[in-house]
Amino acid sequence: MFSKHVTKDISAYCHGELTTEASKQFAEHIISCAGCRTKFEEIKLGIKLAEQLPQLTAPDSLWHEVESALGRGEAPSGTVSVRPASSWRLRLAVAAAVVLVLTLGVWLYNSQPGPHGGPGKAWQVTRLGGTPKIGSEEVFYRGSLSEGEWLETDGNSRAQIAVGTIGNVDIDENTRVRLLETQPTEHRLELARGKMSARIWAPPRLFFVDTPSAVAADLGCAYTLSVDDKGDGRLSVSSGWVALQANERESIVPAGASCETRVGTGPGTPYFDDSTLEFQQALNKVDFDNDQASRSKALKSMLDHSRAQDTLTLWHLLPRVNESDRVLVYEKMESFGAPPAGVTRDGVLKLDQNMLQLWRVSLEGGWILSGGGKGIPKGTVDGKSLKSWSDLKLKDPVKK
Amino acid sequence: MERRAAMAEQLINGQVIEACQQGDRDAFLCLFEAYKDKVFSIAVYSSGGDRTLAEDVTQQIFLKLFTAIRQFRGDSEFTTWLYRLVVNACLDERRRRRRWLPWDLTQTPGMAAAMSNLSEKKPQERQYARLEVAEAVRGAIEELKPKFRLPILLKYIEGLSYEEIAEVMGCSKGTVASRLNRGHSQLAKRLSHFNNPALWGE
Repeated sequence: MFSKHVTKDISAYCHGELTTEASKQFAEHIISCAGCRTKFEEIKLGIKLAEQLPQLTAPDSLWHEVESALGRGEAPSGTVSVRPASSWRLRLAVAAAVVLVLTLGVWLYNSQPGPHGGPGKAWQVTRLGGTPKIGSEEVFYRGSLSEGEWLETDGNSRAQIAVGTIGNVDIDENTRVRLLETQPTEHRLELARGKMSARIWAPPRLFFVDTPSAVAADLGCAYTLSVDDKGDGRLSVSSGWVALQANERESIVPAGASCETRVGTGPGTPYFDDSTLEFQQALNKVDFDNDQASRSKALKSMLDHSRAQDTLTLWHLLPRVNESDRVLVYEKMESFGAPPAGVTRDGVLKLDQNMLQLWRVSLEGGWILSGGGKGIPKGTVDGKSLKSWSDLKLKDPVKK
Repeated sequence: MERRAAMAEQLINGQVIEACQQGDRDAFLCLFEAYKDKVFSIAVYSSGGDRTLAEDVTQQIFLKLFTAIRQFRGDSEFTTWLYRLVVNACLDERRRRRRWLPWDLTQTPGMAAAMSNLSEKKPQERQYARLEVAEAVRGAIEELKPKFRLPILLKYIEGLSYEEIAEVMGCSKGTVASRLNRGHSQLAKRLSHFNNPALWGE
């Protein structure tokens, strides 16, 4: 679908100066236009750099110089003469303002959080049921969630967070989330426990959710993320793609698929929700069982229950299993279809990154169809159909 | 500093401005305290980092402010009126002196060392690297043309919205968006070596 390029709106989008509708159109276009996305990354860097520009402090002597100049009559002609205001009410108001300005100066100077410690930004929270709390304050209708603040729901309450102009996050019962950061170039939530559903219309890698076991990086999508009391989690994607990453592991999860995460291990392997129960149970052992023999046994069971679309899981497993198991995974994948030109058995078994990526790209069409066609947003890249999540140029979403 | 100024600005109400118009010294002091750091910052960034020159410019701006404040009728926001004065003073100064000394990024002490192997550095070292970035940004900002630099200063130092910047600069909101875009783009190109995820904590 053709839409106008949006490069001229990038700064306005990042600064929240576009209307909600224009923001949505911007995000829809940029996720499918490689040219605009490249420019978006460039402008984002420019914004990050400009944000580093510190406000300087004028020297204390400056007022005396200004006052002296006024006294010496050096000011341009027409300058008002310096004397007390005529009305005592005015003098009183001014005196109060002077005292407050100077007192605030001292107090705030001493309580500065840092060179960029300006007033925190906030997201609007709407109560959906019960009495959610922001900090210790109950939210009766609407509230404001500032950076660093926790939003907590109990067994009877739910809430919705408006993520600036880029989307919404529904917070389920018994959930605890914190707004870590909201900047033009990055929005980041922490999900400590519970369940949240996000619908984000934004360019890739603008919205992140930290959990105890992995970081979810939005790639333009809708998804549900849950974390249990141990910190383990589960991601289910209903449209678009989400990257889960931790401990140098990355799982790319398309629509119709899910992925478990475990504290200490990080993200497991993504799988389609309609895969067989036997497949999912075996995969769970392959991902998280500590015993190698048990993992190898589970892998064989998993391969026996795999279907062509389960190459999503198999491809992710290639670098995660040992060499002998890798041969089995390769052969199973090959049984569903020969790898594309330029990809050899030997190269895959040696984990040649170029070959692995080539093979993945050739498989993604099938994965998208398995997810009901919701895996890749409609659109074009330089006049060609958007074919791969790799066109979205992912980067490490983990924030250390 | 930003919080201090933001809260101090909130105390600048109609009564303080009215008192300034009557020549009240304390009211002048109040205005000065609220805006001196922002005005000084813009002056520094517009004068090639020459703080002495920036002090002169800031002094002149406040003297002009105290001259012209009688003419302020409240038709626009006071801040818009003030920043228009600041922008004009900086442009006048630039035209008058024509000596804008850019920072030479390659001569910034410790830059290469600060940027090397950032991901292996400890938090305090990353903080040091960020300070080095701030130095480099100051230099790069100075090298922008005034029409791209001033919207950036008004956005990031003064915290103005696009509409407010447009009013200060006497142009449309679309022009502000376009100039900010080009300013950001030029900053990114000039400082592309800072495109390092480790530096930004990603």
